[in-house]
Amino acid sequence: MTSPAASASDIFTKLRILVVEDSSEMRRLVIALLHSMRVGCILEARDGQRGLEIFNAEKPDIIITDGAMYPMDGYEMTRLVRASTQGNCDIPILMISGHLTRAIVDHARDQGVTDYLAKPLSADLLYQAILRALSKPLHIVETPTYRGPSPTRNLQVRHADWPF
Amino acid sequence: MKTVNPENEANAVDVRFIRVPSIAERKLGPDHAGPMRLDPRMLDNMQQTIRGLEGKYGETLLRQIDGLFRLLDDIAAGSQSACDRLYDIAHDMRGLAGTFGHPMISRFANSLCTYIEGTVSSERLDGTILRFHIEAMQDTLSGRENNDIIALETLRALERLIKTTIRERRIAG
Repeated sequence: MTSPAASASDIFTKLRILVVEDSSEMRRLVIALLHSMRVGCILEARDGQRGLEIFNAEKPDIIITDGAMYPMDGYEMTRLVRASTQGNCDIPILMISGHLTRAIVDHARDQGVTDYLAKPLSADLLYQAILRALSKPLHIVETPTYRGPSPTRNLQVRHADWPF
Repeated sequence: MKTVNPENEANAVDVRFIRVPSIAERKLGPDHAGPMRLDPRMLDNMQQTIRGLEGKYGETLLRQIDGLFRLLDDIAAGSQSACDRLYDIAHDMRGLAGTFGHPMISRFANSLCTYIEGTVSSERLDGTILRFHIEAMQDTLSGRENNDIIALETLRALERLIKTTIRERRIAG
């Protein structure tokens, strides 16, 4: 029988993850970390507009996105992904951001962000978030104007454990 | 896909709650519905990847700090684009420096970003506050082995300076 940890390793090779990030340094970091997890297919975009195009064309399993980007930011991209009829609109969307005020996190939640990770990122923070995205069933709320994770839930910012 | 509608028919709001199976269930089958265990070897691989990138990032930090110093004259002359550029660099440092073993630089960058975010766009940024932050980052980078306590004291002093400056500006109208 396969152990859960082995299964997790197996599934990474079958995963398609889209990384949307305007900072080349941050993008390089996230992609390098996904490579070290042996993720099978890593797609990348520099802003939300390109991210949305790749989402529709390539059908990723998970999106990892920055918040503030130009010309289209990660919040708007998330809103359009949730409204999409071309791709999997229920896809887990992990936002990695340095903007941690309650108003901005609530805005991200309202657009349909699944999980909110604070910068600076750590290996553990990203790994745990991907494991959650892989293993948790998605509880989707659908109204005539919205489909996505509950917009009334208390979306918490997840932080890395730093020494101080 | 299972659909549940807990609302009774008299309720005018059309809300549906849908449970979508997890990615693991869809890719590996229904036996894989539970939480997944963290694989320490994979986490170790990821941490090694970060350590491998640290040297290259150290060079980037040096360039970015140099870039921040070079923007100060333009900011003093009132250039909004220089202010925006400085914020972009500081925001980048806030997000990345901690990951690559420079948590104090990340905190100085965070303090700098917080100062800029809290400044009304019509107000000019205080060059002294900007310079003190950049110098603190430079000092921390050059002596990162043994000066965390001094760096923390410097950070607290900068945070007090920002509060005082903002309060004085508000009083002055």
